[in-house]
Amino acid sequence: MDAFLEIAGAERSFGPARVLGGVDLAVASGEFVSLLGPSGCGKTTLLRIVAGLLAPDAGTVRLDGVDITGKPPHHRDVGVVFQSYALFPHLTVAENVAFGLEARRAPRAEIRAAVSRFLELVHMSELADRSVRALSGGQQQRVAVARALAVRPKLLLLDEPFSALDRKLRETMQIELKRLLRELSITAVFVTHDQDEALMMSDRIAVMNRGAIEQLADPLTVYHRPASAFVLGFVGLSSRIHGVAGAPSDDGFVTVATALGPVRARGTAAPGAAVFVAIRPERMFLSAPGGGAESIAATLRDVVFQGSKVQLHFAGTGADQIVVETAQLPPSGFEIGQPVRISFAAEDALVFPAEVAR
Amino acid sequence: MSAVPARRAPFDRVSLLALPALGYLTLVYALPIIWLLLRSVTGPHGFTLQPLASFLSDPFNWRVIGNTLKIAGLVTLVCLVIGYPTAFALAWSRGWAQVVLLSAIILPLSVGVVVKAFAWQIVLRRDGVVSSALTTLGLAEEPVRLLFTETGLVLGAANVFLPFMILPIYSVVKLIDARLLEAGATLGAGPLYRFHRITLPLTMPGVVTGIAFVFSLSVSMFVIPSLLIGDRYQTLATLTGRSFLLMRNEQLGSTTATVLLVLAVSVVVAAALVARRVGRSG
Repeated sequence: MDAFLEIAGAERSFGPARVLGGVDLAVASGEFVSLLGPSGCGKTTLLRIVAGLLAPDAGTVRLDGVDITGKPPHHRDVGVVFQSYALFPHLTVAENVAFGLEARRAPRAEIRAAVSRFLELVHMSELADRSVRALSGGQQQRVAVARALAVRPKLLLLDEPFSALDRKLRETMQIELKRLLRELSITAVFVTHDQDEALMMSDRIAVMNRGAIEQLADPLTVYHRPASAFVLGFVGLSSRIHGVAGAPSDDGFVTVATALGPVRARGTAAPGAAVFVAIRPERMFLSAPGGGAESIAATLRDVVFQGSKVQLHFAGTGADQIVVETAQLPPSGFEIGQPVRISFAAEDALVFPAEVAR
Repeated sequence: MSAVPARRAPFDRVSLLALPALGYLTLVYALPIIWLLLRSVTGPHGFTLQPLASFLSDPFNWRVIGNTLKIAGLVTLVCLVIGYPTAFALAWSRGWAQVVLLSAIILPLSVGVVVKAFAWQIVLRRDGVVSSALTTLGLAEEPVRLLFTETGLVLGAANVFLPFMILPIYSVVKLIDARLLEAGATLGAGPLYRFHRITLPLTMPGVVTGIAFVFSLSVSMFVIPSLLIGDRYQTLATLTGRSFLLMRNEQLGSTTATVLLVLAVSVVVAAALVARRVGRSG
């Protein structure tokens, strides 16, 4: 991969707190990469280092083949959409969008053309002469995107730009923004703590935890093949069945002895180690016994109707958590309190070392 | 998050809470001023502009008006030049530094103007600290007397009125979201451009308030010029005082007071208009 943005060994501490511990990240031209993680994981710090708003203690940032580590933000060509939008309150919508081009002393005609083009792209042409103070959250967000894009930055950084919007509007804006960035083939780095947002928008996701990237992969891999128990827990829901690892087989599978019976799962573990098997709820099925798949028996405890899907919760022992998602309510015969056979493929079951009790 | 203000009822019962203040101000402030204004255009035979015309026809009075505007303008300028950066230092400092700065600005307000003016008399004398500092540093060949000069008056008055410039600017600087300047930087704006297009327009309301405060205070100051420059140098305020207290000429006093009021109000309004243009074009 040809790296367009290349972060190497980025470190940063605030006082005694080490917020970033040597992060490497390479982003290809035109790619959309999300930094996903809980608050305090260093994702915003990393974003600010790339923008030049914060100096790293160590490490380098290269953009389009040039080392920009020591450059001030106004010489970087890196656009930022801030969480609070940071629109200039004393300027109109059009003046906000024109700001960057005026700062670069672009010719007037060019500024006018760019302002009307980008306002049109974000569907804000009609409100061009409004004061930004009179805009709703979604409209402010659109202006912030248009303002950042109008200078045609080499790289666009987005710091949780949707977190202030309500859910319905957020989904519309996410799809809209993704389409816009693809049409303009803008390279973008997107900070979010919302796993759904990261899954739906990204070409690749960097899952961050405690100042380090735990996994960098496409959304499908992150979801179905999480690299660590942290990634598994942070992205999506999963059933967890605890047990003890048996002897590994050569094909990359381990048989785990659980309270619900032996289960074959993907992964490696030392024989005798305490592990848990994780399976995504939609990859587990209510079934008749047999059929070649892995299967366990568990007692049905709750049926939760969620509209487009149904969640079935089962009783497990200790830290076990067994959830199955189905498209429809189970047929009659599945009564609460009754044992049910659940089957899944060994390929969909992953082995992780058991977490030390917190 | 909608920023559209809610439609207000034409009369809000809460505004009744302002009645005591309104009554007080009407009684002790508005009525006397109206009386004064009427007095300046009333002669033995009713309405007349004659006192005003004769006042304006005397070149001495024009010099007085000139003195007044010059001193007030200079004091305002000195306060603005010193106060603007100080307001930022105050707003952006943290912890102890901020406490020290804030007390240095607020505490002097508790010292009376008369006390301060007398203190400046001592400082500005030929054998005062300013003079000896200048001679020691070799900036002056012989002791200089700044007392009873325009420079001395401007120095002293600026010192007294400086907090009234700093505090309004400080209060708007504190409200500026630091992210606005970061956004400006990521859009390609250098430090000077950011100041000119973001910081300056956003601080303009504070600057206007500061200018209005300091100008109207220094255009009408009476005690400070009396003590720092003396009787030979008259401003509209000292002339008004002399007319009432010394010359017992109420006609002249009310005329000078009216001229002073008109000047002060028009300069403050003009400053506000200019500032609003700067704010909008910024």
